Amino acid sequence: MAKQRAQAVEGDQSDRWEAQLRKGALEMATLASLWQRRLYGLEIIRFLERNSRLVLAEGTIYPILSRLKAEGLLTSEWVEAEAGHPRKYYSLTDAGRQRLRLMAEAWASFAAGLSCLLEPVLEKQEEPQ
Amino acid sequence: MTAETQIDSYLSSLRLQLGPLTLAEREEIMREIGAHVRDSAEESGASVETVLARLGPAEELAAQYRDGVLIRKASRSLSPLVLLRATLRLATKSAFGIVVCFCSVFGYSFGAGFVVIALSKAIVPAHTGAWIQDGRLVSMGAFVYGVSPQAHEVLGMWIIPLGLIAGSLTLLFTTLVIRTSLRISQRWQSRL
Repeated sequence: MAKQRAQAVEGDQSDRWEAQLRKGALEMATLASLWQRRLYGLEIIRFLERNSRLVLAEGTIYPILSRLKAEGLLTSEWVEAEAGHPRKYYSLTDAGRQRLRLMAEAWASFAAGLSCLLEPVLEKQEEPQ
Repeated sequence: MTAETQIDSYLSSLRLQLGPLTLAEREEIMREIGAHVRDSAEESGASVETVLARLGPAEELAAQYRDGVLIRKASRSLSPLVLLRATLRLATKSAFGIVVCFCSVFGYSFGAGFVVIALSKAIVPAHTGAWIQDGRLVSMGAFVYGVSPQAHEVLGMWIIPLGLIAGSLTLLFTTLVIRTSLRISQRWQSRL
């Protein structure tokens, strides 16, 4: 019973750790989704679901977009659509592109460093008992 | 309730909760969220009710916008009131926020304390200073009843410039630490 609880607590903590990790990556992922072309909010949400494992509460993306825009990393424009209502499209500014490039480089070198470190840990798991 | 009235009631509750934002900002957010709900319902064939549930309660969505604005403004501000308000808000959300809030209260009080000592030297010079007895510092500051007669005061009028410099450096440092912490915290705020 106590052991079960300990395991549950452990699981809970690693969930929380993973959630923190995802939160940290969300801003970069949002910028990255706009690398190739402009998108509106719902398209960004779907893009992130499809291309990364970042599934988010749908409301979350909008305050982030508004903050990134206030920081000058994104611009937005309203575009009329055949749906009958206009949609707010976001695109990267030059500052946004530059920031994203820096983030991507930092992320890649950080991940590469950690992968080396974690290699033995993951190998051990695959060994037959 | 029809789909349109559901959307309208969600949006008007959002509008209410977005109080501190400018009118233009509020209108823009409502237009965007309205478009999201219609698009999302159309795309997935889900009911408006389901889409609104996925979006989360209007209060929570509005709180994320409000916090973003509060912290963004504060991270550019010099006013202790604005900065303290933002750290208080941060403290309700994370352990990091509690630490930041505690440090900022501590930093501001310490800084203000130095300034008060400097000022009181000008007003009640005999009761203000740094006293040494047997080679160690026994008390420093402004005292109503004075200090033990064996101790002697060492700083004299120097305590005024020293207090002012130490006070302003502490206040400046506290301000910078809070602003940096607020900027860092923005990254961690969003909810998954």
